[in-house]
Amino acid sequence: MMAEDKKETEKIARCAMCADMCKYNCPTYLATGRETLSPQKMARLIVYNEKGFLEDEKGFLDLMFQSAMCGACSKHCIYDDYDLRKFIHKARVKAFDSGVIPEDVKKRVETFRKFGNPDGEKELIDRGAGDMGYFISCSSYKDKDLLKATEKMLSKSGLAVRRFGGGDMCCGAPLYYAGDMEGFRQVSLKMKAEIEARQLRRIVVDCPTCIKMMTEIYREIGVELSVEIVHTVQLIEALLKQGKLRSTKEKRAVTFHDPCILSYDLAMSDMPRKILAALGFNLKEPVYSDEHTHCCGAAYGAKIGDHRLKDAVTSMRLNELRNTAADIYVTACPTCKSVLSEINMKYITELVVGSIIGKR
Amino acid sequence: MKVKTYMSREGILPRGFIERVRRIVGNEHVSQQENDLISYSLDYWLYGIFLSQKGDLPALPSAVISPASAAQIQEIIRCASEYKVPITPFGGGSGVLGGAIPLNGSVVLNLQRMNRFLSLDEFSLVAQFEAGIMGANLELELNRRGYSAGNIPQSLYCSTLGGWISTRAAGQFSTKYGKIEDMVLGMEVVLSDGNLLNIKPVPRRSIGPSLKDLFLGGEGTLGIVTRATISVHPLPKLTIKQSYIFPSIEVAVDVVRQILRAEARPAVVRIFDEAESQRYFPKIGRKVTTIFISEGETEYTKLDARIIRRISRENGGKSSGEEPVDIWLQKRFDIGLGPVVMQYGGIVDTIEVSALFKDAARLYRDMVAAMKAVEGALEVSGHYSHFYREGACLYVTFAGIPKDPQRYYQDTWDAAMKATLQNNGSISHHHGVGFWRMQYLKEELGSSGVRLLKSIKNALDPEGIFNRGKLIDGRR
Repeated sequence: MMAEDKKETEKIARCAMCADMCKYNCPTYLATGRETLSPQKMARLIVYNEKGFLEDEKGFLDLMFQSAMCGACSKHCIYDDYDLRKFIHKARVKAFDSGVIPEDVKKRVETFRKFGNPDGEKELIDRGAGDMGYFISCSSYKDKDLLKATEKMLSKSGLAVRRFGGGDMCCGAPLYYAGDMEGFRQVSLKMKAEIEARQLRRIVVDCPTCIKMMTEIYREIGVELSVEIVHTVQLIEALLKQGKLRSTKEKRAVTFHDPCILSYDLAMSDMPRKILAALGFNLKEPVYSDEHTHCCGAAYGAKIGDHRLKDAVTSMRLNELRNTAADIYVTACPTCKSVLSEINMKYITELVVGSIIGKR
Repeated sequence: MKVKTYMSREGILPRGFIERVRRIVGNEHVSQQENDLISYSLDYWLYGIFLSQKGDLPALPSAVISPASAAQIQEIIRCASEYKVPITPFGGGSGVLGGAIPLNGSVVLNLQRMNRFLSLDEFSLVAQFEAGIMGANLELELNRRGYSAGNIPQSLYCSTLGGWISTRAAGQFSTKYGKIEDMVLGMEVVLSDGNLLNIKPVPRRSIGPSLKDLFLGGEGTLGIVTRATISVHPLPKLTIKQSYIFPSIEVAVDVVRQILRAEARPAVVRIFDEAESQRYFPKIGRKVTTIFISEGETEYTKLDARIIRRISRENGGKSSGEEPVDIWLQKRFDIGLGPVVMQYGGIVDTIEVSALFKDAARLYRDMVAAMKAVEGALEVSGHYSHFYREGACLYVTFAGIPKDPQRYYQDTWDAAMKATLQNNGSISHHHGVGFWRMQYLKEELGSSGVRLLKSIKNALDPEGIFNRGKLIDGRR
């Protein structure tokens, strides 16, 4: 065994013997009350599978697609430098390579292979000019209100921005979460070429998962993008700092839903709150927010490969948010917005756009 | 199944039982999948965790049933009584004495779907929750509304309210807020005949012996707690942290005795022996360190802290400021060392006992010495926490790298229990009995006590379906 492998094996073996101190925040565990989905039990089963202690490997691999891959466990882990998701992902790769991925995931991967995106979008968007890019993710592409608000924000801000996305341009997250690493690698190389062809210096992205993929995960597979990637809230915060946001006499109460990747991977919980407070909104926090946020459940067959489990997680999150009885619900992830549409969720750009002080 | 069980074999469920239960809770909430059976095979009994590394598990459940309501549990219990199927309730699975291990082919009754916050009465200062709510989530629900239950065990993030009640749990802030038995005002329990017992929440009652107390420490052997109403406290307006170094354990224990006698009620009091002080506070090193947290209303807290300061100084205590308290607050949930020690073949565990002040310091000396004398011992250390006007809880941690792990584990426990009983102590302060501590029960309770507890078990659970092989054996 290589030294690095041994180190990794020791890490998960420790997790498999921990007291499960992170499960209280695990959305799939909480939504189902199923101990088996708790991080420590997942770790124990991964270790047992590696050691050949399991008979039902199909059942095990199926279970690996029942994680939200949200990172709540690593956020609250008592050990440094450990992320259970890496091990779950490894098992997903094994499942993909053996052809035993769940039906929902299979359908999503098939669509991806046909269209280059998970939803079968055909139209490619590529307009504007400048060395700053706005990447339209698959989930933003479908959201006309968000696209409209973004257009307005970009034009009012006076920045020269190249908008691109849609069609067969995708970060590859659906393939990554399905365990299709060869497919993911190809997509990441294509994405790199698309960015390089446009000679961009900086890209703004609405979707936290795209950012995670294009930075951390691309790097892991040896694909380095020579471009700065920022989230939309960072752009809005910059506008705020430049005095380009006007505070309104806003009386409405707003609840911000922290997208899991934005909070756990990108550590951007304060920024959207600062922006909303600066605009004059009255923030009403749900019980589970910020470092205790819960995943929305994500899109069908995306992170969670079982649609019933996905629905249970979504339903739990909707209830938690409804409890604040806010006038408006807002988030900073287009997938969360779409999944939680029952409470008329907005993307933060839609709330901000009316307050931008345009170029004179 | 390739995993091996060393305590009991898989049970064979009577025909028809599973079908009936499926109709009660729905197909997806009854499982006999390997994944689930393994996941509910063990709680946090540390010797079991040590053995689990090699795929050795104490027992596998015959099935896992996950109800969503007390009504469903009532039906399940009626069905289990009819088919004589033993039931092991499973909350957070954080118990350290094996109380949730599904012995004797039990089916697991998983309570974790019943995890809702139900209500808060800010006027009367009580809140109601379902029993399967995780401690941390119970606190988050209350904190967001400006309150706390004040029960903060080390297992806060992995134990449930039902588990706290069933083991008579105690939290780190217990010297002020009390233990779980002081907090629970009312509860709902499913009895072995499937009927529901509702104990309404009132501050006190005088209607014969307290029925509520049957289930506070019942360890799932007498009934299934499904919801409870507990007392809550407004979040403190002021917190004052202090720490003092004393020349010996004896002096430190006596100082705390005097402080409590003077009616001060710090939320946290902990006396760390030299070894634990070295581990927690390397800057202080091998000295007896005592930390205090006073909290609550401003005037009260200031007075509380003043009493602590005066008595500590009068007894030669040297202040070491707030830093040790902050370090402890930061590290108090970190159980990370245990798994690392076990990875390298080490055995670790903790034992908590209680004694009157007159015996407390001697108990520490005797217990630690006896445990250190066991072959294979590497480290034995202790601290006192959970204080009363009359005495305290002593909490001892041990680690060893023995040639024969089972012998070492047994001998260390034997040594600790013997020292406790010789010093007039009680063999458990708040972890409970589970299956592991049953071997010492007779010496603790005496023959009459054991007979009485057995009679209670037989009266409440005549068929012996509840958590068989734990706390006390009934007729079986």
